Amino acid sequence: MEMLNALNVFHSLPLAELEVGKQFYWRLGNLELHGQVFLTSWFVIALLVLASVLATRNIQMVPAGFQNLMEYALEFIRDLAKTQIGEKEYRPWVPFIGTLFLFIFVCNWSGALVPWKLFHLPEGELAAPTSDINTTIALALLTSLAYFYAGFSKKGLGYFGNYVQPVAFMLPFKIIEDFTKPLSLSFRLFGNILADELVVGVLVLLVPLFIPLPVMALGLFTSAIQALIFATLAASYIGEAMEDHHGEGHEEH
Amino acid sequence: MTMMHWTILMAAEAAAEGGKGGLFDIDATLPLMAIQFLILVAVLNALFYKPLGKAIDDRSTFIRTNQAEAQERLAKAEALAKQYEQELAETRRQSQAVIAAAEADAQKIAAQKVAEAQQEAQAQREQAQREIDQQKQEALQALEQQVDALSRQILDKLLGAQSIG
Repeated sequence: MEMLNALNVFHSLPLAELEVGKQFYWRLGNLELHGQVFLTSWFVIALLVLASVLATRNIQMVPAGFQNLMEYALEFIRDLAKTQIGEKEYRPWVPFIGTLFLFIFVCNWSGALVPWKLFHLPEGELAAPTSDINTTIALALLTSLAYFYAGFSKKGLGYFGNYVQPVAFMLPFKIIEDFTKPLSLSFRLFGNILADELVVGVLVLLVPLFIPLPVMALGLFTSAIQALIFATLAASYIGEAMEDHHGEGHEEH
Repeated sequence: MTMMHWTILMAAEAAAEGGKGGLFDIDATLPLMAIQFLILVAVLNALFYKPLGKAIDDRSTFIRTNQAEAQERLAKAEALAKQYEQELAETRRQSQAVIAAAEADAQKIAAQKVAEAQQEAQAQREQAQREIDQQKQEALQALEQQVDALSRQILDKLLGAQSIG
């Protein structure tokens, strides 16, 4: 009985509500979409495009203001790609890895900073797109495709040689790795962001003022780290796929 | 604590409902999100990575060439400074040599002049000596003549006319 009373109290509070696993469904033909994910992801995409347009609208030799900030971001991304993929090959991969980083980063921070809960949907609630498993699996699968593409475009069928490097014994592990890579990428991101949002939500539910702030700050930190981890791992997988095992030995002789 | 239980219950419930909803509800969102992401990559490549990357590369080439030029100019300036310093040292040495030569000349001239003056003085002294000697001689001669005349007069007085005769 007490439990039921407690439940009623929570239902009567306007902000303190927590919904998990409820989706705002859209129908497209006979396909089902998670509307809330698309709404927030469009917001994020709009933000990124707006930032890009603002930064490149009037490119100066001596950067100022917004151009400076975005150049800093671009140099950071280039550095990341360069360290993982290598000086020679990294350039074509900068857009992919950079967009992974920026998209995930802005998604995560939008989940932590934008008060999405103020917008009411018929069902479910707005949250960071990365707290939906579909988004993270989509990004992880794209990463898998990207590293396969990188390997095959660099070495052709010789890419399969990677599976028996350094010894043929490694073959089954390397094959398993192809499945675990996207799995770990997607679940790490999904789990971290969802857990962060849940922890903040539960804390807000318990103590609405001030107490959740440190956890929110920690959430901002985790969000940034997760974006960095995803982009770094994607770059390192691509770099690994393009790594030249035979070439190094021959060049030395 | 009850609230947390409730939350977890909710989540479990939603997941248990099956079919619709739940945390691991994978549907058409996945491929559409992938396509949307690829479009975002293309759009950002055109709007952000290409233009800004070009700006960064242009700037770094600009800086590199400028730096190379500046270094070249610095080297040139340093060489010029060195050359000037060498020239300056050379000129200083030459001027010192000139000064030394002039001093030596001046000393020689002074010594010569002093010697000449001494010689002249010597000559004048000698001449004066000679004149003195000559006048002494003349005076002595004159004195001798006077002595002769006087002695004759004395003789005349003493001897009178006898001797004359």
